[in-house]
Amino acid sequence: MSEETRSNPGRRRLLKLTALSAATTGLYGVAPFFGPWQHHHAWAQTAQNKPIVIGLTMDASGQYAASGQMERLGAMMAIREFNEKGGVLGRPIEAIHIDTETTPATGSRVAERMVTRNEAAFLVGAVHSGVANAISQVAQKRGVIFLNTNSSSPTEAGANCHRTKFVWDGNGANFSAAIIKNAIRVSGKNWVLLTNDYVWGHDTSKATRALVEANGGRIIGEVLVPQNTRDFTSYLLRVQQMKPDVVAAAIGGDDQKAMRQQVIQAKLHQNIAWINNQQDWPDVYGLGAEEIFGVFGTTWYWRLDLPGVKEFVAKYQKVYPGVAIRVPGNVYYNGYMATRELLNAVEKAGTTNNIAVIKVLENLKVSAKDRMQNYDAYMNPTTHQMQQTIYMASFNDKPAEKDDIYKILSAVPPAEVEDKAALTACKLESYADTPVYEP
Amino acid sequence: MFSTLAPHLVNGLALGLLFALLALGFMLIIGLMETINLAHGSFFALGAYVALTMAAPPLAPEALGGYAGWPIAVRYALALIVAPVVVGVSGMVLELALRRTYGKDPLYGLLLTFGAALVIEEAIRLTWGSQERVLPLPPMLQGPVPFGDVFFAKYRFYAAGAAALAIVLLWLLIERTSIGARIKAGAYDSELVRALGINLPRLRLLVFALGIALAAFAGIVMAPIWGIRPQVGVDAVVPAFLIIVLGGVGSFWGAVLAGLLVGIVVGLTGAFAGDWAIVSMYILFIAVVTFRARGLFGRKSVLDV
Repeated sequence: MSEETRSNPGRRRLLKLTALSAATTGLYGVAPFFGPWQHHHAWAQTAQNKPIVIGLTMDASGQYAASGQMERLGAMMAIREFNEKGGVLGRPIEAIHIDTETTPATGSRVAERMVTRNEAAFLVGAVHSGVANAISQVAQKRGVIFLNTNSSSPTEAGANCHRTKFVWDGNGANFSAAIIKNAIRVSGKNWVLLTNDYVWGHDTSKATRALVEANGGRIIGEVLVPQNTRDFTSYLLRVQQMKPDVVAAAIGGDDQKAMRQQVIQAKLHQNIAWINNQQDWPDVYGLGAEEIFGVFGTTWYWRLDLPGVKEFVAKYQKVYPGVAIRVPGNVYYNGYMATRELLNAVEKAGTTNNIAVIKVLENLKVSAKDRMQNYDAYMNPTTHQMQQTIYMASFNDKPAEKDDIYKILSAVPPAEVEDKAALTACKLESYADTPVYEP
Repeated sequence: MFSTLAPHLVNGLALGLLFALLALGFMLIIGLMETINLAHGSFFALGAYVALTMAAPPLAPEALGGYAGWPIAVRYALALIVAPVVVGVSGMVLELALRRTYGKDPLYGLLLTFGAALVIEEAIRLTWGSQERVLPLPPMLQGPVPFGDVFFAKYRFYAAGAAALAIVLLWLLIERTSIGARIKAGAYDSELVRALGINLPRLRLLVFALGIALAAFAGIVMAPIWGIRPQVGVDAVVPAFLIIVLGGVGSFWGAVLAGLLVGIVVGLTGAFAGDWAIVSMYILFIAVVTFRARGLFGRKSVLDV
């Protein structure tokens, strides 16, 4: 796999401070020239053995660096499996990766570069919803299929949906639907929203608010937390002053780790119920027992008692022996599943033509056995979001082995957690309005 | 109204002391040596990692006389003292490299320290990995402290106390010791100091190491609040730089007051307009330098203490 790296935004800010930005632009961030194509029809038809290039648009720095690394390993595993079988349509698969830096502008630039310079056939990967949205706009403009593997803002399969984009993770509305009714009954009616101040946080809070109010609860306040916050004391003091029964947190990535540690330091988990809409495995792996408080959602767990799970975990450990996270989690799983189903779809379509592959993906149905989940999953053709089992979990105080840190409380079938708002919010472009792309 | 505001003011003051601690080593090196040390944040991170290794050593229980089995309070206390010394000594290497840039265009020093920051960050990544790490704390520093109808983390007051202690000790060193007198003299007139037989290169080496050790100490104190990861230094160096300029480059009390001011502003905006919390320090900075370009107490060097 070829790999390209960029300077991170913090450094560029620093250089600006010291009036060196002009010099370092030359060293680190020369903007490539793209375009000015108005139409993005098929590239020259490919030779039979020309590799199919998959552009991995994943974060290696910023708030979601840890998750970006894990979804990359998942995608690489699927690519490896197909290459071991001889590739797809007789063509080997090649992956390229450029750090999207958890920054929408970088995501956009990386996507442009991968398509125009590297001739990427498909784009795979995103955790930050702003980055996913930016990449998907480029992808739609070019007609390139983009798999949003792990970003879960409801808008991704709602207002910001695209014909070329497919969303593989559960979203904030799915997770909220799975948890809120029960939480109001058990913990209380007065809720405070603790919200990461960007698109995923806002959209998830909006979905949570609607569901809380629909189920007889009350939102008594909302505290917005900027991205890359490390010190949560001000926010946690404000939350306490509102005297909630429940705090619904939509805080992601490294921010969430910091929040968990500081909630524990002040013992705020003992007198307030905490719900974290979705818990990504890299954000919780390695935390102490007490820090994994509250109830949270996920789409997969490495100790689900289902066929294929043990083998899946064993293969991860065999192929990636040096990775600090010793067992795969939901982020790796989504990266793997999305890439595997994309390559299956190409094989089924018998071509890399984007429209043909899109039509296969729109009709995708995956059995529970193949998904290693409790219920069958399917791609919603109206929103392009994978409809799948949602698991509610909490910390496991009786682990069967090391890293057995989740207790799965329930497995909710996709029909019960469907994001109904997305069905009307999503307006997919027509096939005719989507540029043809056949790398 | 006051009961609502009070915890946030207390939090802002504590935060301000931590910001001042963050800027202390940076201020010392700029004040005496007129070198902007862009590797300050990387040494901040390195301090946290060295302390982590000492507090939670990856050792077999019987190794090093059973060190891993010693009480966490002892290992933490050792880390708090030894890690800044270790990092301070490693900082001497950078000062030795910097000597070739003295008297030249400041860009040379700037680029050298920027390069050092990249090298240190990557070395951290290679040695400790990219995963977020947690510094274990003695039980006595954990738990809540009630304040009116809310709870603070006990650690916050400990951290603010450690910052205040570091500020006072540094002030005493500069103002009340012969070494401090030589440091100030060196900053004021290096040629005269050299003519008096004082070994100026050694003095500079000492000051640089002290500045780096302070960065490492700040990294250890901040670790339970900010977490430990290779790029945490970037989070540290930007506010440190901002506070130095806001307070007035080279001014000891300017840095302390600017730290407190930034802490209170960030603390209050965090509570009542959370989405503005991070940007508020930059707005404050712009507001001040627009009307007073040299900062609140802008003078030339630590002589102005």
